[in-house]
Amino acid sequence: MKMTLTAIVAGALSILALIIFIMVFLPYAQQDTTPSNIWRDRTQVEAAGRKIYIANGCVYCHSQSIRAIDWGFGGERIAQAGDYVGDEPILLGSARTGVDLSQEGGEHPDDWHVAHFVNPRYTRPSSIMPPFKWLGIKEILTLTQYVQSLGFKQADIRMKRQRHWKRQAIEAYEAGPDVNARWLAEQVPEGWRNIPNPYPTTPAGLQRGHKIYQEFCLGCHGPIGDGMGPAQPWIYPPPLNFTILKGREISGGIIYYQLMNGITGTAMPYFKRELESQKIWEVGDYVAVYFINQSDANTDPRGIDAAWEPYLEFEPE
Amino acid sequence: MASTANEQAPSYPTAIAFCLTSTIWFAAATSFGMIAAGYLFAPDFLANIGWLHFGKARPIHVNLVLFGFVTPGLLAAGFYMIPKLLRTELFSEKLGVFTAVLWNVTMLCAIVGIGAGYSQGREYAELPWTVDLMIVVLFVLVIFNILMTIRQRKESILYVSVWYITAAVVLTGTTYGIGNVIWKPDTGALLGIPDAILLWFYGHNIFGLLLTPMGLAVAYYVLPIATRSPLYSHTLSLIGFWSLIVVYTHIGTHHLLQVPVPTYLKVIAIVDSVAMVIPVMVVLINLWFTVKGKWAEIHQDIGAKFVFAGTIYYFFVNIQGSMMSLPVVQRVTHFNNWVVGHAHIGVLGFAGVTALGGIYFLLPRITGKPIYSRFLADLQYWLVLIGITGFAIVLTIVGLIQGQAWINGETIYRVLPQIQPYYIARASLGITIMLGAYIGAYNIIRSIFFNPGATAK
Repeated sequence: MKMTLTAIVAGALSILALIIFIMVFLPYAQQDTTPSNIWRDRTQVEAAGRKIYIANGCVYCHSQSIRAIDWGFGGERIAQAGDYVGDEPILLGSARTGVDLSQEGGEHPDDWHVAHFVNPRYTRPSSIMPPFKWLGIKEILTLTQYVQSLGFKQADIRMKRQRHWKRQAIEAYEAGPDVNARWLAEQVPEGWRNIPNPYPTTPAGLQRGHKIYQEFCLGCHGPIGDGMGPAQPWIYPPPLNFTILKGREISGGIIYYQLMNGITGTAMPYFKRELESQKIWEVGDYVAVYFINQSDANTDPRGIDAAWEPYLEFEPE
Repeated sequence: MASTANEQAPSYPTAIAFCLTSTIWFAAATSFGMIAAGYLFAPDFLANIGWLHFGKARPIHVNLVLFGFVTPGLLAAGFYMIPKLLRTELFSEKLGVFTAVLWNVTMLCAIVGIGAGYSQGREYAELPWTVDLMIVVLFVLVIFNILMTIRQRKESILYVSVWYITAAVVLTGTTYGIGNVIWKPDTGALLGIPDAILLWFYGHNIFGLLLTPMGLAVAYYVLPIATRSPLYSHTLSLIGFWSLIVVYTHIGTHHLLQVPVPTYLKVIAIVDSVAMVIPVMVVLINLWFTVKGKWAEIHQDIGAKFVFAGTIYYFFVNIQGSMMSLPVVQRVTHFNNWVVGHAHIGVLGFAGVTALGGIYFLLPRITGKPIYSRFLADLQYWLVLIGITGFAIVLTIVGLIQGQAWINGETIYRVLPQIQPYYIARASLGITIMLGAYIGAYNIIRSIFFNPGATAK
């Protein structure tokens, strides 16, 4: 074959044209633009927030693309083509240095997001997201509106739920520690309230609980459990001060349940996706032993003794 | 044969201008890369400098590497090779130098555009509309200059390198405007899923239709000359060239295997990603058989040494790429640092190292003097090679940790603390590469402007 200039230019361009037709134009022409059942239009503020999201390259760490194999936030709903019918550009993302945000709307209340944008480590101590305090509070609020719309109608339902419980949580907080502690306990199903922490207090268990506390709890509840972590100024109702709970009948089961399910409406997220059972029990015991100063670990009723439990009783200092 | 006057005064100012462009933006691009790498293990690093946080440093880094460092580096070699191979002069050196100057202005605009928040938010197509237009103009100028040079040629046979360079600039000049949806200035994007399909068609072809053919053009030129060997096979050159254009253009959709796009696109993308073995191995067999047994000659010429190293990374990145397109592999490797490692092997390990090889090969031949310091060039060679190989290893490990943990149901926050040490290792290797870039910039600038000649060691 003789390679002439015409052969090269015309040959290459016609191959390209054919492939663009098959690989780009055909799917474009045949696309289904029917919105999915959760889709809705974005409001003006949400669209403005999306612009801030694009301008700051959030897409480099946050995908919006839930796959059949995914766990974690949004993992209940696999992405459909109809979810993206209003996206220009589409923001699927190519890396998950941070969490997928497809269904982020309503996972947390607005105040959590504000604290998180000011400095992500305030609410998530192990986050590696850069701080966005420099955006200014107005832009942060706009961006928050966009993030709270992710998930469309599903996000709206979750946001409604956040607002509903926030009113109750604020009411309970403002009525003082007695009412607040009782309210928190009463939200836990009856059976759970009577369960003591089934893991015995051990030095190793407290160490593990300490590590979990530092990676997940410190930002709001603070290093000494008084609710004065760096996120505190941004959050209302403020993070719970554990040191007021002594003598207020907070069982291991209540702590476990609240860690597992979170307290919707407040900045307290649920941890059941992040932490397995033993980790939740042990961080709960860490809080009970060091901050509440009252632990029911391994007390009755406790059923058949677990085979591995230590023989000698451990007395914390 | 060309006239003797032409042979006596070959000064190639366009090639020189593109050498300088490439080497300066290599230093700048790696510096932005270092800033981005710093954020990953110390996220409050440079906190609250609004135009420089990770979300901006990363696209600036990527765009500067693609369009500031590698493309001009390969074009420098192109503007030297094309006149040489066609026994003529460049159609217009003035136009060429103007293109290089405009190229630098465009890169500055790219930094300002992304830094100021005008990113269009599409990976590899972030640049704001005005910068997109400037890049299209640049490609039009380059295409015009090269096509006119080919028209006035005194050598009737077009060598392989000429095919690749011509195809690369013509095809990229076309896909750039389409991929950046240049007819929609406000968003630079399509609506919904077709936007993702177009984006990855285009994004993958920045590597497949620009960096790869340009890099192969340099390898096809440098290796036979440095080893004084005829090219092994014309037939393999032909197969390699046409199969590259046919196969590479199909495979962008392998970025979307886990996304609701039509299944036939995924099937084509996977099949052709595996079929990439053909264009890659055909070219490599051709090149490697050409230089077979000529290790001493390759070692002697620092340009050829870089280029040969580039062919080895080309082999690795493509075998890895074919493997990554398999859905079962991608379930682990998608969305994590494995892919970042893969991209670095391709863009720096193959295309970047080949561009450096082209620059080091042509500089002594243009200036008539040896490069300023062979020692510094060798030092840069090893710094870049150690850096990129380390990158590949570390990022692959991080990717496996992330991918396996996620598939087992561990969440992002659980994995982040585990990978922090690897991010530190990665940044350290980044310093190695950045040092290499700075040393190279010094050496190349000294070779052009303040070169004492043969007396220097």
